[in-house]
Amino acid sequence: MPRASKRKSSAPPNPSPSPVKSSAALPGKTKTAKGSDRVENMFYKYANDGIIDPDGIMTLCEDLKMEHTDIRILMLAWKLKAAKLGYFTQDEWKTGLKTLQVDTLTKLRKAVSELEKEVNTSSNLLEFYSFAFRYHLTEERQKNVDMETSCELLNLILGSEYRSQVDLLINYLKIQSDFKVINLDQWVGFLRFFEEISFPDLENYDDTQAWPTILDNFVEWLKEKRR
Amino acid sequence: MNNQKKRNFKIEAFKQRVVVDPKYADKTWKILEHAIHEIYNHNASGLSFEELYRNAYNMVLHKFGDKLYGELVTTMTSHLKEISKSIEAAQGGLFLEELNRKWNDHNKALQMIRDILMYMDRTYIPSTHKTPVHELGLNLWKDYIIHSSKIQTRFLNTLLELVHKERTGEVINRGLMRNIIKMLMDLGSSVYQEDFEKPFLEVSAEFYKGESQKFIECCDCGEYLKKAERRLNEEMERVTHYLDVKSETKITYVVEKEMIANHMLRLVHMENSGLVNMLLDDRYGDMGRMYNLFRRVPIGLSSIREVMTSHLRETGKQLVTDPERLKDPVEFVQRLLDEKDKYDNIISSAFNNDKTFQNALNSSFEYFINLNPRSPEFISLFVDDKLRKGLKGVSEEDVETILDKVMMLFRYLQEKDVFEKYYKQHLAKRLLSGKTVSDDAERSLIVKLKTECGYQFTSKLEGMFTDMKTSQDTMQDFYAHHPELGDSRTLVVQVLTTGSWPTQPGVTCNLPAEMSALCEKFRSHYLGTHTGRRLSWQTNMGTADIKTVFGKGQKHELNVSTYQMCVLMLFNNADRLNYKEIEQATGIPAPDLKRCLQSLACVKGKNVLRKEPMSKDIGEDDAFFVNDKFSSKFYKVKIGTVVAQKESEPEKQETRQRVEEDRKPQIEAAIVRIMKSRRVLDHNNIITEVTKQLQSRFLANPTEIKKRIESLIERDFLERDNVDRKLYRYLA
Repeated sequence: MPRASKRKSSAPPNPSPSPVKSSAALPGKTKTAKGSDRVENMFYKYANDGIIDPDGIMTLCEDLKMEHTDIRILMLAWKLKAAKLGYFTQDEWKTGLKTLQVDTLTKLRKAVSELEKEVNTSSNLLEFYSFAFRYHLTEERQKNVDMETSCELLNLILGSEYRSQVDLLINYLKIQSDFKVINLDQWVGFLRFFEEISFPDLENYDDTQAWPTILDNFVEWLKEKRR
Repeated sequence: MNNQKKRNFKIEAFKQRVVVDPKYADKTWKILEHAIHEIYNHNASGLSFEELYRNAYNMVLHKFGDKLYGELVTTMTSHLKEISKSIEAAQGGLFLEELNRKWNDHNKALQMIRDILMYMDRTYIPSTHKTPVHELGLNLWKDYIIHSSKIQTRFLNTLLELVHKERTGEVINRGLMRNIIKMLMDLGSSVYQEDFEKPFLEVSAEFYKGESQKFIECCDCGEYLKKAERRLNEEMERVTHYLDVKSETKITYVVEKEMIANHMLRLVHMENSGLVNMLLDDRYGDMGRMYNLFRRVPIGLSSIREVMTSHLRETGKQLVTDPERLKDPVEFVQRLLDEKDKYDNIISSAFNNDKTFQNALNSSFEYFINLNPRSPEFISLFVDDKLRKGLKGVSEEDVETILDKVMMLFRYLQEKDVFEKYYKQHLAKRLLSGKTVSDDAERSLIVKLKTECGYQFTSKLEGMFTDMKTSQDTMQDFYAHHPELGDSRTLVVQVLTTGSWPTQPGVTCNLPAEMSALCEKFRSHYLGTHTGRRLSWQTNMGTADIKTVFGKGQKHELNVSTYQMCVLMLFNNADRLNYKEIEQATGIPAPDLKRCLQSLACVKGKNVLRKEPMSKDIGEDDAFFVNDKFSSKFYKVKIGTVVAQKESEPEKQETRQRVEEDRKPQIEAAIVRIMKSRRVLDHNNIITEVTKQLQSRFLANPTEIKKRIESLIERDFLERDNVDRKLYRYLA
């Protein structure tokens, strides 16, 4: 996951007020209480000023024994439904870890490793893929992701599944000059393109259909190259 | 009543004794038989009709109908056999005459016999369902004469031979033929058809097949068509003279098939004489004939139409892509108009104003006019030329005709918005230089454009006219308020509303002192009455008339552009100026200044300035002087170049670019309008709908529409459906 730049100006979202919990809570709920305690404690281990910031995430990555650029961190962000690139709020942390059903670091490490499998089911892939794009819209009202980041993300997320297509597309995106940024519509279009269009012959591609023009141009470029 | 049986004196009819005497029947028959015999021998005059009738009547009454009928058949048959022999014996040409004579005789006889046997006809025959006498007579004639083995073939051959003779130019006895044919018709329509018509048609087909083959080898198209037409008329005439009227369609069908349908394509494409040559030479007669003949056969007219269309498209394509022609836009358009006139005449004179041909003409013109992307510009230039000088002295009616013809060409344009742009530019120049030949003609054309394209198309153009009128009023007002300026109206201002006139980059230059004071006066006057507005002088669009005195005393009045005026006025205060000094003093942008100086110093006959060095190009170090040796035949010399011209390549690119830019919001507006009403629509349908909506202005490019859709998606006007990516949804 690309490291988000430290933005001193934008304030991180308000951390939710920490609920006061005592271990001597209701009997029968001890296990859960303990569990959520552990989750909370884990949170505070990485948090800084009530939120896990990029530094905290770095630390988390070390603990998870993964590079911060590892795709599984991005997947974790997806599972947490993280709203802002480079930050996890307490709510996101709690809800996310509950979904994963983990409350210790070890369990978390295991769960994260298995996220890859989960993501690669086709219904989740689209969701994760779209999430990745939206996650990288850092400014309010930002609609587009810059070309470089888009290429990196493509490579990271779809590279293993669609190696040659992704390589060619990234190649094209870098040399063309019609578009300097990618919007969500085009982004989603890329995945559908890889999924639906037969490769390398591109037989079933019809440029009179509703494909984004950037893909029309890509296909034309490919065909030119072939000649 | 006391009516006892009176003994009335009765006169009783003479009664035959009612005897069922077998001999009676024979005896009676013998009388009748004898009578028939006499009738056939033309000896009927001695017979008593009444007596014979009575005899027949009695026979039937006494139930001897069978015998009567049977004997009748026998007798007639034997008579006919006799007749048959005499016909067979006739030689050569008399054969038919003999037949005819005998037929007439037979008919007369038959009539008399029928009259005699009327009672039997009316009572015995219906009840026994036997053939009535007259019909019986005809049938017997048919069987024993017409179908007699010795007569039948000979009969048919004789008839066919006569027809053939007539076809080869000989005169035959038409009256005789008519009678014979009538005889066949009387014998029954199937007789006519089987014994004559069918073989007649077959033989005719053979004949015309041969003839058409002969002609097509030796005649050119026009000649062939004349011959075919002649034959066709001949056959129709033959029918009226001696054939059954129902045969007309059948025989004409044969001629049409053999002479026209079978050779149609060869005729149309015939080298040096086919349709294309006729079109080129305006041979209305030949083309009209071709049209009339070909319309009788299937796909005849469509063959003509196809050839005409492809020829027209080819000609048109050459016209619009020929580099020679493209040099003079006015010529170019005139040539198009001439071509349209030519084909309009052909279609009305030769092709019966056929609507399908008219449509083919229209689609061809639409096709090739749009092959040249400069057509809109050229048509506007043509109109400009006409409105400047071409329509001078032309009657109002003729003006309307010319403008209507131009409108026809306009209708063919796919890129009407390009035309609008150029028209606006040219109109602006015309209005501002006051160079229009007829205000009425200008207005008339605007009205026509409005009718064709709607209010939006012409609202700005009308705005331009309004501005001109308003400016006149403003000037009146200005001078009325400034009596100190006296009677000399040195300054004339036209106030142009920015939105209506073609956009110009806003540049000003330094006006000479004499002018700028006056301009300021105007500005404050105007803004005094129109607060909240902003005025900017368009120094690149004005003109000036300057009175000049040259070194040798020559006096001239020069008509120049504002820029040129600024340059020239500098020489009131200096004898020599170099380029840099002029540039600085006037503030005119370099490319315009260079063009301006060129027009003042480098054009023969208009060189009011002298340049050192004498080269054609303007260099930064060049020096300029007034040309004291300047001379011109005329007192008034026009130097300004404010005439509309064919655009240079870079200008053309710029205009094209602006047009493309203008189209983008129009496409988007159309998309939004459609999606707002439909809510959800798939990709192909959007493209179709948008194209249709914009059709009256330009042909929208599907790729461009797609780009606009994506732009609208990005700006959250539309979204793609999650499940079906081909569907778009309107976001309120």
